Amino acid sequence: MGRTDTAMDDLLNDFLAETAEILAEAGGALVAWEADPADRAQLDAIFRLVHTIKGSSGFLALPRVTALAHAAEDALDQVRRGNRPANAALVTGVLGIVDRLSQLCATLGSRGAEPAGDDGDVIGALAVTEDAPEAPAEPAEIQLRRDDDIVTDLQGWRSIRVPLPLLDSVMTGVTDIVLARNEFARMLRESGADPALIGAFDRLSDSIAGMRQSVSQMRMQRIDKLFAPLPRIVRDLAHDLGKKIRFATSGGEVELDREMMENIRDPLIHIVRNAIDHGVEALDGRVAAGKDVTATIAVSARQSGNQIEIEVRDDGRGLSPDALVQKAISARILSAADARALTPREKLELIFRPGFSTAAKITAISGRGVGMDIVKANVEKIGGLVELRNDEGRGLAVVLRVPMTLTIISGLMVRAAGQYFAIPRGAVREILLETSDTVRIERLGGGEIVTVRGEQFPLLRLETILGRTRDHRDDVEDRALVLVRPGQGQSYALSVAAIHDHEELVIKPAAPMIMATGLYAGTTLPDNGRPVLLLDVQGILAAAAIDASEAGRSLDHAVEAEAAAAAARNAAQLLLFRDIGGRTRGIRLSVIERVEEVPALALFESAGRIQAQIGDDIFPVHAAKLPEGHGTLKLLRLNDGQMVLCYPIEEVVDIVRLPEMVQPATAPGLIAGIALVAGDPVELVDPFWLMEQYARGAVAPAVRQPICRIADDHDGWGDNFLAPILQSAGYRVVAETSGETADVMLCLTDEGAARAGGGDVPVIRLRASAAAAGPDDETVYRYDRGALLDALRRRIGGAGA
Amino acid sequence: MMDKLYLVARIADTRVALRSRAINSVVTVGTPVEVPAAPPHVAGLFALRSRVFTLIDPHVVVGLPSVPVAPGQRVVVVDVAEHGYALLADEIEDVCFIDAPETRITGKLMPGWARVADAMIEHEGHSLLVVDPSHFITLPAQRAA
Repeated sequence: MGRTDTAMDDLLNDFLAETAEILAEAGGALVAWEADPADRAQLDAIFRLVHTIKGSSGFLALPRVTALAHAAEDALDQVRRGNRPANAALVTGVLGIVDRLSQLCATLGSRGAEPAGDDGDVIGALAVTEDAPEAPAEPAEIQLRRDDDIVTDLQGWRSIRVPLPLLDSVMTGVTDIVLARNEFARMLRESGADPALIGAFDRLSDSIAGMRQSVSQMRMQRIDKLFAPLPRIVRDLAHDLGKKIRFATSGGEVELDREMMENIRDPLIHIVRNAIDHGVEALDGRVAAGKDVTATIAVSARQSGNQIEIEVRDDGRGLSPDALVQKAISARILSAADARALTPREKLELIFRPGFSTAAKITAISGRGVGMDIVKANVEKIGGLVELRNDEGRGLAVVLRVPMTLTIISGLMVRAAGQYFAIPRGAVREILLETSDTVRIERLGGGEIVTVRGEQFPLLRLETILGRTRDHRDDVEDRALVLVRPGQGQSYALSVAAIHDHEELVIKPAAPMIMATGLYAGTTLPDNGRPVLLLDVQGILAAAAIDASEAGRSLDHAVEAEAAAAAARNAAQLLLFRDIGGRTRGIRLSVIERVEEVPALALFESAGRIQAQIGDDIFPVHAAKLPEGHGTLKLLRLNDGQMVLCYPIEEVVDIVRLPEMVQPATAPGLIAGIALVAGDPVELVDPFWLMEQYARGAVAPAVRQPICRIADDHDGWGDNFLAPILQSAGYRVVAETSGETADVMLCLTDEGAARAGGGDVPVIRLRASAAAAGPDDETVYRYDRGALLDALRRRIGGAGA
Repeated sequence: MMDKLYLVARIADTRVALRSRAINSVVTVGTPVEVPAAPPHVAGLFALRSRVFTLIDPHVVVGLPSVPVAPGQRVVVVDVAEHGYALLADEIEDVCFIDAPETRITGKLMPGWARVADAMIEHEGHSLLVVDPSHFITLPAQRAA
């Protein structure tokens, strides 16, 4: 009896494993079929899958499973025979059955027996539309076709199932053999054994190597498996959110170690969910953006070297760096000051900060406590990287780059502080001796940098990182630099006491408290049987807190450009501009206070000079005539500390370093000389001469402000409303009763105007109504600030002339 | 009966009883490989049958200064959360059945010991602390910080 039980258990386990696989596959296939109901191949595939479950469950006496599978098979068979249309209702119904089957199998797995229950609901849901005309039954024909199906099925299963623990123990066994072989090899070498013995051993050694290769291949699985549940997730989520999404996968034949697969399953699902929830716009949003209402999400895998690249690309709104910054600031994970220092890329990478959520509100879909920070951490834990390729407004691609296999990597063995460490070979760019001629090491402000053939790298000493001292037995001559590239666009030099060799390493995760140091990516047992720590080249970077970004580092180009820019900042700079006549001229940047853009109407002529009104200030303008047209024009505002002069220009061209060679003009004038800027002659404006021309006119108003008297201010309007404006425009306002001689009188009433009309002080009469009394009405509406200031200028300008 | 099987050992200068079902094996270690920058109770790494074990110094866990590992020293191997650890033992005395019941700890223990000890047990006329080896793996939070 006991034996039969065991046999049944094995059968049940096989059934469960197989069914779980089939259900995952069926979900994906169903969604693909729903998208294209005419796809007969998909329909047949789904039919076969359900049929297989029905067959196996019948053998194991699982009535509920059999009934469910039968119902789905029946419905699909109706479709195959053309008696029932393939529609969304049918797919939803079959998916309902698939879900119920998954639940049942989960319970079966934990309890070992099928739970009691009723599946009438899901089976009924599938039967709802079965009012379609029923075709006459043709049992014989169906039977035949089913036989066909089963035959194809058998051919499809030319593989056997092996429990994972068994596979893992084979792997461990092989690893042990390799270690024993290595030790044996060392002993053979040391004993000076005879060549025939060594030859025989080498053959053994080769077959062990081959075996190890095969075992690692046994652990490889097609990435299809990882993609299988995605179509279903996309379909359901898109449905819930009312979005239309076309989902495509490619590269499913790429193989990945099953352990890696486990590790990236959740991150991948999370990224896909994010793309649907946050990336893809709502339908109206897509229409507004001029996009196809049906969004596309594509998941693809490809192998490059010993890495697998999995890309999730959507054509949604992409990430907005500025919005991310705002969000980070409001979430208090970033200060406004820090935000300003961020590069565009760093802004994007804010989404990897803990506590960051891009959704304006936390939704049921993405707001489940798993952020991109967890995704990144999980991927990095297995030696992978997460990259963002953002095209704002047009979509985002998230790329997971993971090693093909977690367990065996090629490693570089290095020594530091008297012990060995391994560095993943994939991250090593170059190895150099510190004594090499191409290497220049410099100490800078407590840190070290190394220049290798013109390229600079931050230098980290492994002993310092590890908090150890150098081993006194190390020979300085042996010290080497490992140029490490932990991720794209980053690199640094790691100084080690010596380079040992390359080795194929079996990597195991280290204990959590060792991983928590952030310096190690795992442990390994090399040939000598003594454990070696695998360095986490990315973590070392984080621990050292250095900027290893390669941007702007190359000595030949960027660094020189940077130095040149710094020198240029100290040197005099020249503002290049195109003047009104279209000529390119230059003027020392330091005399320019700012560039104003004003309406052409702000310029007016007074006393034969062009003036500009900017705000409430009036400045002389270096121009022979008023500009034509009503557009805006740009004014360079020159300030000599005493006065301001405006110089009209067409546009600013550039800011360049003031050339040292200037050909001086023969006579003093507007142009001080001519210089060559980037090969073109440029006239240099002489600010001294320019200011000299206008200084005399400007001094008088600066010393003595025109005096304004406000008359007939009965209700205090003049005092309260008018006087402040006059004062800020540079006039001094005196009381009506004051004995001072005023330059101009502002009359607030008609009587007052009449009374004062006889004096030689110019009078401006203000009226209370917006409309003028007639064509000869010289009064100014009291709330027309521009006209009022204009009138004042005319009166005083006239008096001065 | 397995429940009554204990490993009696001297760990961190104190005789303790370890429940045998919590223990994988008792082995001797050679010179461990140091783990620079690791927490202070990590005494190093060593390999055993192609597995790498993390060596824990119980002295540090209970608040005593660390003690260097002597080659050939015996360690208690335990598995915690699928990782292999080895507790350095000052001395392994015996594996024996202790029929006496585990009793509540009376008296005040040092904070370090209070955290790792589960109960007390009477053995051959002495009271022994019953400790859970998995408690030695993590340091108290305030020390780790």
